Formats: sequence, structure tokens, C-alpha cells
Amino acid sequence: MSQPMQGQGFVLTSVDRLVSWARSGSMWPMTFGLACCAVEMMHAAASRYDIDRFGFLFRPSPRQDDLIIVAGTLTNKMAPAMRKVFDQMAEPRWVMSMGSCANGGGYYHYAYSVVRGCDRILPVDIYVPGCPPAAEALVYGLIQLQNKVKRQQSFLNQFKKTTSDME
Amino acid sequence: MSSESALHHTLTDLLSGRVDAIHQDSDMVSIDVSAQNLLEVTQQLRDEPSLRFDNLIELFGVDYLDYGRSYWRTHEATTGGFDRGVAESDKGEQVIPWDKPRFAVTYIVRSICHNFIVRLRVYLAMDPPIVPSVVGIWPLANWFEREAFDLFGIIFDGHPDLRRILTDYGFIGHPFRKDFPLIGHVELRYDAQSKRCVYEPVSIKPRVLVPKVIRGDNRYLQEKTNAHQQEVSDE
Repeated sequence: MSQPMQGQGFVLTSVDRLVSWARSGSMWPMTFGLACCAVEMMHAAASRYDIDRFGFLFRPSPRQDDLIIVAGTLTNKMAPAMRKVFDQMAEPRWVMSMGSCANGGGYYHYAYSVVRGCDRILPVDIYVPGCPPAAEALVYGLIQLQNKVKRQQSFLNQFKKTTSDME
Repeated sequence: MSSESALHHTLTDLLSGRVDAIHQDSDMVSIDVSAQNLLEVTQQLRDEPSLRFDNLIELFGVDYLDYGRSYWRTHEATTGGFDRGVAESDKGEQVIPWDKPRFAVTYIVRSICHNFIVRLRVYLAMDPPIVPSVVGIWPLANWFEREAFDLFGIIFDGHPDLRRILTDYGFIGHPFRKDFPLIGHVELRYDAQSKRCVYEPVSIKPRVLVPKVIRGDNRYLQEKTNAHQQEVSDE
């Protein structure tokens, strides 16, 4: 009891748990459909799968978003616009790559006009395979992303970083 | 007399002398016209009371660079696929030689009130191919001509706003030309240092993704007869 917080950071882990629970429970994805995957994304948002239940609420502005789902073929012409939308999102932010085209070019890998994977443009957190992935697959990916966010200990990491800098 | 052959007669009467050929294809009547006479002929097609082709259905470029090359006698997968310019006869497959210019622009026009449809074709010998714009006749041609310009590099003389319509900003080349490589020349990536997307020379090699079926290939015939003989000798 004499040194309750030394080396443990349990206050910070508790804060982290609360914050990441809050973050994962209300992730607002950007409405950014590029191709046929966008239709499956709409299905995931519609009444049958209803990702609103998990706190995913599509927002049309990057300023209000935590997540961008790259749903479809990312072309060379669209890529700078997509990067700009991502740059306008406030931190912390996450990226999901949906479908073969976004994962690595897919069907259009050898085409002259398509980016061979959206990870050449954005830092991707979760890849959802499929062509297009079914709405269930997208929902599964979103739940995986929630788990990833729940495990993040941003305050503790910041604390560790600060203390190690002091040493 | 069918309506198509009636149309064929009307067109021959009205346009003879100004068009190179009028022939009745299996699907519709085709008119071959030179670039010099195009505007005059299209104007008449639209305004003549017995024709009134007032509806442009489509306009597209064609590149005949690879036409007539036989891909049938191949022993490996090809990027080209099978060509229409190959005919089968008693002597086997024969390449149909292409003696016309490399590029063509095709217009398909419909007459709503007479229920006619006609294909109009202009062959273009020079490079870059130049053809007069028909935006003044059918305003709908505006974006179609921009598309043909973008993808084939066909220049439409007199077009009010001849810009690229589909390809990337600052794109170089015309992707639907048969000599344009499928993988292109550049690829894109985000550069974290300069904080923007940068173009780099393409890093992958072209590759045949779908091997084409080789019809009547003697290798498979050989395998088949061998297998058959094997079965017979086993019995």
C-alpha cells in the first residue's frame, strides 16, 4: 500500500479500458463507397444486419468520422481524393480495406488505372477478403476492428513513452 | 420488300456520290463515308424528311491494329485472345487480310418517326486520326467524342471542349489503342515524406491471367488417341 501506483499504471489501464470501450462502441464510418462493395456495405447498414446496433453510424463528413471503409476499386484518379478525405479525419482514426480490389488490386491488379491495394495510399487496420465480401463478412470485420480498438492502451503507452523519455 | 431494303434504296437514291458504300449487313444498313463528306451526309440524314435520323445512339472508335492476326495456331496462352478476323474454310483457318486504315469511327443513328437504324462508318488513315465533330448535328455526341478522343486519341475537329473524360488527370497515352500495354506506364503510391501521392514507373511485369482455350489443338487430340489406345490394350 506504500507505493500503490509504482510500475503498474492500473489507473491508466482502467482509464484505457473505459476510453477504448467508449471508442469501440461508437465508431462512425465515413460514407465512401467506390464500387460494388459499397452495395454490400449498404446491406450491412440496412435493417437485416444493422451495424447501428454496434454503434456504427455512417456520417457524410470526414470531420465527424473515426473509420473509413475503402469499399471497392481504388483508381489512380480517386486515390489523391481518398487520401485527402483520410487526412481530414481527426485522430484517432482507423481504416478498413474491403474486398479484393482494395486489398491488392484484385481483378484489376494488372490494369493501368487501378491502385494495387489501398495500403499503398492509407495505413490499413483490417482487411476483409471477398469479391465482394458479403455483408456478414463486413460485420465480422467491423467486430474484429472493435476488438482491436478495445485492446489499444493509448494512455498507458503514452505514459510509458513519457517515463522512458524521462529516464 | 422489307423495311431495311427499302431504307437501303432510299439511302442509295439520296446519298449516292457522297458516300463510299452502302451495304446491308445482317443487323442493319451500313454506310461508309469519308471524313470530308461526313458533315454533309450527317446533316442530310438528320434533316431529310424521309429519313430524319434525329437520335444518335452511340459513337465509338475502333482500332484495327491487330485485326486479322491468327491467334488460333498458338501453342501457348496468348494475351490477344481469338480474333474475329479469322475465317474457317475447307483449307483450315485463314486470316482475313485487313487492307483498310487502322482507325475508324462508327456512329449508330436512329430515326424515331420512321423506325430506321443505320450504322455510319468513317475510316481514318492519318495518325493522329482527325475527323470532323458532329456535335453541331447531334449535341449528344459531345461526351461520346471526348471518350473516343480519350481512349483512342481520335481528334474531333470543331468539338467545343475536347478534353479527356475518363482517364486520370495528366494521363499520357490512349489506353484502348492496341499498342497500349495493359499494365500502363505509371503507378501511384502515397509518399509520407512529401505528404502527397506520387507517380512512379510501373513495377510489375505484364502477365497472361486467363489462358485461352485452344480449339482443335492436335496435342490434345494426340493425348486423347493415346488414352484410347491405352484403354484398348488394357482390355
